[in-house]
Amino acid sequence: MLGEDVIELDRERRQRLPSWSEIVDGLRSATSDTSDTAVEVLKRAKGRPVLQPRCGVGGHAEMLDLLRALESAGAPDLLSVTIDSHTRLRHFATADRVRRENPAQLNGYPLVAHGWERGRELVAAVGVPLQVRHGSPDGRDLFAVSLAAGITSFEGGGIGYNIPYAKDVPLADSLRAWQQVDAVTAELARSGVVLERELFGSLTAVLVPPSLSLAMTLLEAVLAAEQGVRCVSISYPQSGEVHQDVAALRAIRAVAAEYLPADMTVFTVLHEFMGVFPAGRDWAEALVHYGGLVGRLGGADKVITKTHQEALGIPTAAANAHGLRLARAACSPLLDFVRLDEGRVAEEQHWIEREVAELVTPVLERPRLATAVEAGFAAGTLDIPFSASVHARADVVPLRDPTGAIRYHAAGALPLSGDVLRRQHRLLSHRTAALTDEILADINYFADRPPWTAEKGQVPA
Amino acid sequence: MRDTTFRPRRALVLGVAASDAHAVANRLIHLMLTEQGFRVRNLGVCTPLAEFADAAAELDAAAVIIGSVNGHAVNDLADLPGLRAMGRLACPVVFGGRPSIEVGGAATGRARLRELGVDHVLDRAEQLPALLDSILAPVLTHAG
Ligand code: B12
Repeated sequence: MLGEDVIELDRERRQRLPSWSEIVDGLRSATSDTSDTAVEVLKRAKGRPVLQPRCGVGGHAEMLDLLRALESAGAPDLLSVTIDSHTRLRHFATADRVRRENPAQLNGYPLVAHGWERGRELVAAVGVPLQVRHGSPDGRDLFAVSLAAGITSFEGGGIGYNIPYAKDVPLADSLRAWQQVDAVTAELARSGVVLERELFGSLTAVLVPPSLSLAMTLLEAVLAAEQGVRCVSISYPQSGEVHQDVAALRAIRAVAAEYLPADMTVFTVLHEFMGVFPAGRDWAEALVHYGGLVGRLGGADKVITKTHQEALGIPTAAANAHGLRLARAACSPLLDFVRLDEGRVAEEQHWIEREVAELVTPVLERPRLATAVEAGFAAGTLDIPFSASVHARADVVPLRDPTGAIRYHAAGALPLSGDVLRRQHRLLSHRTAALTDEILADINYFADRPPWTAEKGQVPA
Repeated sequence: MRDTTFRPRRALVLGVAASDAHAVANRLIHLMLTEQGFRVRNLGVCTPLAEFADAAAELDAAAVIIGSVNGHAVNDLADLPGLRAMGRLACPVVFGGRPSIEVGGAATGRARLRELGVDHVLDRAEQLPALLDSILAPVLTHAG
């Protein structure tokens, strides 16, 4: 099933992989009495999100230590294998050289260079399932190595792991690579192993309008469904305004019910605030805690946690474990008394769903979805702010409204209706300073002074 | 008002190091420099050093400005001595961003970049215009 006709892999790497039946057996053994797959863990969420940190270092021994330290000090439900940037971009030779010469310089774990045998050691080292988190426009070789390692969760998709993560990979190429990953995922499910396939709704992570995030992951989910996938996790990045965030998390379920096959299982995931973090520890911790609470209020199945060192560098194990504990406290019954203005949430959710419909309908109406996505990005009818890739126009300019919610200041060529755009402009009518200053202020919305030292009128809502 | 009319006379090459996809600072710096009258060719994210060298040669650039925040700067710029030995990238190379992955590891990272031959290591975008002026002004004097 890892045959050339289903998924194209580097020839030499393919030869070093175990056989398909050994791979399936290895993944099945994750479904034993003593261990779980990632999906089994997610199914236990039931109103209180399961928690997972990001984590990855270059050296193998150091990675084993990190996973063990996080498991004992942070009690996560899932753990990550965050992959280094060289591997993400398929610079496998560079990743291999650096991990031999100076592994401490890598910003993640080079799983392909270390090889699937070492991946199995990572799986065996801890009692919770692992997820590979990367950002590869073409993650096929990494996927094959992850499966051989017995890892039951793999993040990514042809849009969200291309446009924010590479300069010049044509969408046709990334979409095709991910169709192959999804085809293998579907085949595995038929063999009894259901993988977690998380779609990366965070995109460029800075001021991402919720409806854009949802539209992109929805299109990826439909593409996955076309390949036979029947279980996905849809992630969404916390904007920082609680009504908007809870509405967005609820909207994921609504749009999934409308646009995805009825037999598709959808887990919702909140990525704790993904933009520029405050450097000060107390304010950063407040934000990490707040993220956990938002995940719980929005009914997320999983929350990916951040740390008080986010603005400073790759977090230490201690800081990372601390972030998990903060989020755990925020999801605990302690804060069950918190209630939101449900009318406000419902209003937000209504508009998010309407915007998503306006964004995806023209694409879904076209005969071939992958081609339609590619054409949409070329025409700017699909677009994201601050695109890393030349294959998106980046004509969308977001700003925050007076409550802190993210709105479209400019929508580029997105096919949003007059009603939607008028509302957006009305909500931003106070933003009259020079645009670059306004954007910078909003990028640094949480990085600037904490609210308890702010002057009146400057308090982030 | 200070005279800044010399700014657009020579091109600058801007971009992000080979393994780094962080785009936000790059886009904002491009905007800032253009608004302030500099002539900038932006190569964007994930740009190998050799591409910086090609663009600098093509444009006879006054400086090459390389950003990186993902912590891989030292590896992504490792070919700088080799390229310079071949006579390429002779113009000043300016680095900006985060030179290392460690919390508090910036000083070591900065030193390593200097060892590789990076001429200026900055950490904030606001430091750029003054540095670029100091590079551009004398260049122009020499050029008459
Ligand atoms: C948004 C973000 C992302 C987005 C980026 C989307 C995109 N394509 O742009 C996503 C989610 C995709 C992402 C991915 C990754 N990220 Co990131 N990301 C951030 C985050 C939250 C904000 C960055 C940002 O946009 N800031 C706004 C801009 C305007 O400012 P800035 O980039 O911080 O740059 C400032 C200065 O550094 C300087 N500067 C920057 N460039 C230049 C250039 C010049 C010439 C000059 C003079 C100055 C300068 O000026 C800017 C303004 O003051 C930071 C953490 C934070 N700051 O809170 C992490 C962070 C930068 N990411 C990090 C990492 C490691 C990654 C990943 C490798 C994943 C991983 N292993 O964790 C991948 C990158 C993959 C790759 N191939 O590179 C680390 C870097 C660690 C380090 N260096 O110590 C950080 C610090 C998070 C952390 N604590 O671990 N990331």
